[in-house]
Amino acid sequence: MSVNMVRIFFTKSGRAIYTSHLDLTRAMSRALCRSGLPVWYTEGFHPHLYMTFALPLSLGTTGLCEAMEVKMLEDVPYEEIVTRLNDAMPEGLRAISAAAPVMQPKEIMWADYRLYIRCRTAEGREALDKFFALPEIPTEKRSKKGIKTVDIKHMMQLLSIEDIENGLLVNLRCRAGVEINLNPTLALDALAQTTGFRADQVKIERYAVLTEELKDFK
Amino acid sequence: MTLDQLDLLLSQVQKPARYTAGEMGAVVKELKPGMLRYAFCFPDLYEVGMSHLGMKILYGHANRRDDVWCERVFAPDTDMQQVMEEMGVPLFALESLDPVKEFDLIAFTLQYEMCYTEVLNMIDLAGLPIRAADRKDPFPLVVIGGPCASNPEPIADFVDLVSLGEGEEISDELFDLCIKAKKEGWDKAEILRRAAQIPGMYVPSLYTVEYNEDNTIKAMVPHDGAPEVVQKRVVTDLDKVYYPETFVVPFIEIVHDRAAVELFRGCNRGCRFCQAGFLYRPIREKSPETVAKDAKNLITSTGYDELGLTSLSTSDYCGLEPLLDNLLDWTEARHVNLSLPSLRIDNFSKELMEKIDRVRKSGLTFAPEAGTQRLRDVINKNITEEDVLKTCRTAFAGGYTAVKLYFMMGLPTETNDDIKGIADLAQKVVDLFYSMPERPKGKSVSVNISVACFVPKPYTPFEFEPQATMDELREKQKYLLSCVRSKKISVSYHDSTTSVLEAALARGDRRLCAVVEGAFRKGSRLDGWENHFKPDAWNEAFEESGVSPDFYAYRRRYYDEVMPWDHLDYGVTKSFFIREHKKAMEGTTTPSCFVGCNGCGAQRLTGGVCKCL
Repeated sequence: MSVNMVRIFFTKSGRAIYTSHLDLTRAMSRALCRSGLPVWYTEGFHPHLYMTFALPLSLGTTGLCEAMEVKMLEDVPYEEIVTRLNDAMPEGLRAISAAAPVMQPKEIMWADYRLYIRCRTAEGREALDKFFALPEIPTEKRSKKGIKTVDIKHMMQLLSIEDIENGLLVNLRCRAGVEINLNPTLALDALAQTTGFRADQVKIERYAVLTEELKDFK
Repeated sequence: MTLDQLDLLLSQVQKPARYTAGEMGAVVKELKPGMLRYAFCFPDLYEVGMSHLGMKILYGHANRRDDVWCERVFAPDTDMQQVMEEMGVPLFALESLDPVKEFDLIAFTLQYEMCYTEVLNMIDLAGLPIRAADRKDPFPLVVIGGPCASNPEPIADFVDLVSLGEGEEISDELFDLCIKAKKEGWDKAEILRRAAQIPGMYVPSLYTVEYNEDNTIKAMVPHDGAPEVVQKRVVTDLDKVYYPETFVVPFIEIVHDRAAVELFRGCNRGCRFCQAGFLYRPIREKSPETVAKDAKNLITSTGYDELGLTSLSTSDYCGLEPLLDNLLDWTEARHVNLSLPSLRIDNFSKELMEKIDRVRKSGLTFAPEAGTQRLRDVINKNITEEDVLKTCRTAFAGGYTAVKLYFMMGLPTETNDDIKGIADLAQKVVDLFYSMPERPKGKSVSVNISVACFVPKPYTPFEFEPQATMDELREKQKYLLSCVRSKKISVSYHDSTTSVLEAALARGDRRLCAVVEGAFRKGSRLDGWENHFKPDAWNEAFEESGVSPDFYAYRRRYYDEVMPWDHLDYGVTKSFFIREHKKAMEGTTTPSCFVGCNGCGAQRLTGGVCKCL
């Protein structure tokens, strides 16, 4: 039996950003069941719906270009996959497009984030200028293996800082992928630690996932 | 509250998806003038409340009406409550995020006694006075239902209305009354007076309790036209009654994360310790066709990969085998697992096991409840040691290696021989495994004994019985451990501290309201959770109120004593319970209702018959 790998791009916003990655997996799997799409199940003792995500998103972060892959047992037009999935998905999750995968998830190198920082702008700018001028930024990073200190300076690039109502909008490019991944909240923690600056509220939005050549992941 | 404001709270708490709603199946309506706003509250965390089937049914049932919007409310966990209090955010309903205080009806379902302080906490967090008498406005009205509403006296002072029996029957009448009351501007007293005329609606404030000198109850005196006795409401035909076509599908994992269909309500067995078995009588079965239809609807609309067929005794369902034949091919093709909780040990056949096996093999759980035949006869469990061993033999031959056995301790007439019997029975199961040449090769057996403390409950033949004291229960636990010799047997048991409180509240009267309030004021909430339970707060509350828990938990009642729930009629008569209690003391059993009618009285409610297939 031939199975077709399909990559589905979707957004995660509104109430759905509070869904953890594990919960998202479950929600997507149920949405796929409801949609009635001919998805492939793994074989073996406990068959389950096959599904992988290119780059998991942190709880609380909005995602505008999230990608997941499933296998289809039949040829279904890509537009139909999008429509049927959208009819079955909860509030805050929306499929945008579906296509055969072009790239491998391991080609992902960067992700671009918008950080909406609620603060007094002068204070925020001063802290950010100081932060990005630091020659190195050793930061404690928690992983499955324990806590270790890494220099996050070269894991991020500041793209821009703009004034917005009640604060600042920071465009930040972070290393992303299986090998090295920087969560922007870790950068914000480091910002607080090195400068003492704490925002009143931060909203984070991932708007691009890129390869080494800064091409959109497809 | 807007979603933006909610964001500020959610960034500070664990498991924020408990508070966001927006799940598939959540009902969001456009608010129209005159619409009745109904907050369905479960006084426990989201994961627990969302697992409750009754809430799913009544949520869909209320929302089928255009003039009612029913929303869900759960107890916030302590971190969320702290953030809400710091930021001045009152208790809100999940779908609209509007404050519960602005609703017309605030309903709580009471599934266990240990939730009472949480009910008070949620009323308080909503910004309302906790005592009904202090809530002068006609709305919101606080109404309670669920099994613990069968003796609502320990929380009677905090609630306006008590709904007895099955909500599908009474809800519409309550909604209509409230809509009319709002239109015509009735005051609270008038609403309560008229509500008391709805069959099945108990209005505690319209009853005065008179006590005897020995602190027992002399009489419950109704006034303002309230009836002497309030009789619970029951659905007569489960094939015709409303059943949801979809459930709210949560994002986070909940306790029972699956689609569920009821097979029947009530129970034919009559185990004398079991409140549910009597409270939900008479027996009414759903036809296999309706069950299959409901199941397919739910699986298709929710996308769940597990289906639970629920009842108090699933293997007693007359149509089980044809139903499974009908369902299994369908579920298997969709990778849906079937779960059959509450299987009995005496009719668990090889065929049934093979059917369950077709989907997934997990551990088997059975409930002999007592260790010796003598005590099993006293409690009318009606299973024998041969039943237990025969079932285990079937299971082992079918490849199972783990069996979980449920028992109780502190049962009426229990002696150390009965406790030792628990360990002996478990040992016999272990020995059986090793005596079988066809046992699973190269595997070891594991028998887990789980022992609960018996709590005498209202509406059972044991409602007259004193509970075993905490010291006695601890002694029994110690003795049981000393009787277990094999490493293949593991023992787990519940703490006895909460059991005493549960016993006091279960058979308590209105004087316990002061204690429940006192415990709440001292910080008690979420008492069902070991990490939240504060025994000192309760002890102090009892002391300050001058009420002793022993009076309620440890005292033997005489047959002619007026029970705090005698004015509430759940079908089964007190004379039946007295008859059954006498038989228990003689060690005589009563057969299943399927053998012949035992005349419990419940059939009065459905016109003289139990509806069985």
